Amino acid sequence: MKSRAFLAAVLAAALAVPTVARAADEMVFASWGGAYQDAIRKAWLEPFAKATGAKVDEDTGPETAKIKAMVETKSVSWDIVTAGGGGLMRGVAQGLFEPITADMVKQDDVIEGARNPYGVPSEIFSTLIGFSTKAFPAGGPQPKTFADFFDVKAFPGKRTLPDKPETVLEAALLADGVPAVEVYATLSTEAGMKRALDKIAALKPSVAVWWSSGAQPVQALGAGDVVMALGWNGRFQAGMDSNLPIAMSWAQQIPQVGYFMIPKGAPNKATAVKFLNFILKPEINAELSRHVAYGPATKGAWAHIDAARAERLPSTPERLKNALFLDIEWWAKNGAKATEAYTAMIKG
Amino acid sequence: MTIPDGFPLSAARLLRRHAGWLGIAPLAALLVIAFAVPVVSLLRLSFGEAGFTLEHFVRIATVPLYRSVLLTTLTISVLTTLLCVVMSYPVAYLMATVGPRMRAALIVVVLLPFWTSSLVRTTAWIVILQGNGILNRLLMGIGLTSEPVAFVYNLSGVLIGMTHVLMPFVVLPLYAALRGLDLSTVQAAEGLGARPATVFFRIVVPLTAPGAVAGATIVFMNALGFYITPALMGGPAQTMISQMIADNVGRQLDWGFAAALSTVLLGATLVLFVLFQRVFGLDRLFAGGGGTKSGEPFRLTSRGRTAGGLFGAVMGFAVAVFLIAPILVVFPMSLGSSPFLAFPPTDLSFKWYVSFFENSKWVGALVRSLEVAAVTVAGAVVLGTAAAIGLDRIGPRWRRVLETVFVLPMIAPVIILAVGLYYLFAPVGLVASIWGLAIGHTVLAAPYVFITVRAALKTFDPNLELAAIGLGAPWGTMARRILVPVILPGILAGAVFAFITSFDDVILALFLTNIRTRTLPKLMYEGVAHEIDPTIIAAAGLIILVTVLVLALDLVLTRKRS
Repeated sequence: MKSRAFLAAVLAAALAVPTVARAADEMVFASWGGAYQDAIRKAWLEPFAKATGAKVDEDTGPETAKIKAMVETKSVSWDIVTAGGGGLMRGVAQGLFEPITADMVKQDDVIEGARNPYGVPSEIFSTLIGFSTKAFPAGGPQPKTFADFFDVKAFPGKRTLPDKPETVLEAALLADGVPAVEVYATLSTEAGMKRALDKIAALKPSVAVWWSSGAQPVQALGAGDVVMALGWNGRFQAGMDSNLPIAMSWAQQIPQVGYFMIPKGAPNKATAVKFLNFILKPEINAELSRHVAYGPATKGAWAHIDAARAERLPSTPERLKNALFLDIEWWAKNGAKATEAYTAMIKG
Repeated sequence: MTIPDGFPLSAARLLRRHAGWLGIAPLAALLVIAFAVPVVSLLRLSFGEAGFTLEHFVRIATVPLYRSVLLTTLTISVLTTLLCVVMSYPVAYLMATVGPRMRAALIVVVLLPFWTSSLVRTTAWIVILQGNGILNRLLMGIGLTSEPVAFVYNLSGVLIGMTHVLMPFVVLPLYAALRGLDLSTVQAAEGLGARPATVFFRIVVPLTAPGAVAGATIVFMNALGFYITPALMGGPAQTMISQMIADNVGRQLDWGFAAALSTVLLGATLVLFVLFQRVFGLDRLFAGGGGTKSGEPFRLTSRGRTAGGLFGAVMGFAVAVFLIAPILVVFPMSLGSSPFLAFPPTDLSFKWYVSFFENSKWVGALVRSLEVAAVTVAGAVVLGTAAAIGLDRIGPRWRRVLETVFVLPMIAPVIILAVGLYYLFAPVGLVASIWGLAIGHTVLAAPYVFITVRAALKTFDPNLELAAIGLGAPWGTMARRILVPVILPGILAGAVFAFITSFDDVILALFLTNIRTRTLPKLMYEGVAHEIDPTIIAAAGLIILVTVLVLALDLVLTRKRS
């Protein structure tokens, strides 16, 4: 029994040796697996392979730490990796990504807040309020703004917030009456940071869960452990699609951008560039939102999205009017300190 | 007198003197190459990546958050260890005093939590413990409380989750120690009129302490490195240092600071470990059963249970229920159709089981996991056993040093080892191969075998070895006929621990495998930041089912043979 397993192991190891010779058009795409990667495969990878004849391989787990290890040991096996703005900026700071110039990929159609010289935006997702329709049924008062989220008198009940400060500090200042355009300037001052932390500290007695995984707020809302959550629109939407008693408020939101990058030393850079141009074509760009409730980051894509689908997406021109984009440069500069202060506040 | 005829005297003496080192060398070599080199190359970043600096340590010392996290880590680890020991006694007692079939069932109950991935375990616990969870509905239903009790997202949640999964490390050695207890000692005490409590505290505890201490050491060192359970079942006040290390390695990409935190953790643990050795003595730490082996093993006598024994048995049963509870909710949960896990499920469906078998990635990952675990168990058992046997045959000073050195992989943060191994393996093409992963797992698993075999060796009488060799038996024959049978329980316990170490690892797999070589835990964690794919619950259900079936079949076959 054991010897057979061992034999199988030997065989598997022999098969796992990567092939050295590569066909002309090949590409390895690495993302986070699960439903997200399934959506990307259907919307973009398979159509790209079909349209160009390129062979697209997939991998999973593009941790920034692993990209760094690959780049430094010159063993990069990925051509496209995906990350949020935070991962992008940290990678850029360590020189892990190829710059993407206008000659390589034309990004004129990408909306202002989403452009970056090292990444092509793949989608927009939002942090916003999700609430239990059992606690706040239609017809009665329902929470709308971040101010409502922090108002335990008008909307009593337990809350859940992320255990990391990104989006929470912003929401706290917006709730405290700071205009959107001044949020990051305020956070950059010591008094402003304290103002945000104090606002959250005041809410602490009503916080039942500080979540670390995007599935948690939906689980907590669905189980009735909390009545309101600061979480991601795609997750709330999935809960609503499974008939959990949840609704979201689009009145105020903090959108973030997901990016595709080319790691430095990628073996098939040319194909990767071709792929990035492919997904920015308006009709192709619109495809992803068919499979997952993330909005396109281009203006042209909206011509190919009908009203029913747009209803589920965070980046409609209408909804972006009430949005404060997460400032990834601010977080790259102040993230470590802010995380330290935030963790100390919620821990203490 | 102990040297066989025709064997050159000097060569024999030379071999005798160095035979110990021969056993130690393979594990020592593995740990130098695949542990010390990669870990030290990362830890030195704590003194700066370009030039020498102490800024990372200054930050740890001056920002109060880090001191408080370190203190929290130690507190949670100590509490978990105490809970594990206290709760293990009744279970071990129950195991020692019931019939063989009941005992087999109890062993399954104790080991099953190990078999389910940490992600599945914590998910099941949350379903049981949350505000509107099974336990609170039960408590409110029978009127014990009118408000839901907060069991989870706080200290109690972390302690429940960690004690649940770490308890087997104490139960098994404790059970062995209890079996080694001489029944006549207990009978003598009872005959002299000792009450059950007196028997327990004056006889059972002192004589089984070495087994409990060995288990407690493993639990404590394991607990220090936990971060998935506290992240999911605790609140912010339970942030542990490994969470911060992983965050700084993976998310913040601040490897210098992560290395500094790891250095502080390693240093603190080593100091504690050495102090512990001073107080308790090395021999006690690694000793297995207490007492001499001449008497009848501890069991239930014909006089039945005393009042204290009955109390112990009831408590043992309660702890067994605690151990099996999350496993019991996994099955019903896996039969729902909603992607959001609920108990009881709103409808009945085999959707997630179909998804498991339809998608080759799940079956492939399971097979890969078993392959890696098989190689790991083989490697860890051979290296760990050889080192444990060899250690008895070298000088006491070296023995003391090596005993500490060989358990180091248990306390070093796994993510540090994972990153270090990537740099080591990438140039030689071992990343993305199951061999690289198996080597990494062997580094983590061999210490368990080493400890359990060391404990078993304490009950081995070296005179037996001398007698056998004196009677002309070659060393190999002596080992096969005398040594191995005695230490076999230790080897088996170590093999189980080694299997689990490999089968539940996510972090090494994250760095050392790709989509073709990924293991089941890695696949389970994919996309977990966004959603939990209920297929993992089905996967866990299948693994439990197969385990129980194999053990049941074994029980049936054993009965037929006898």
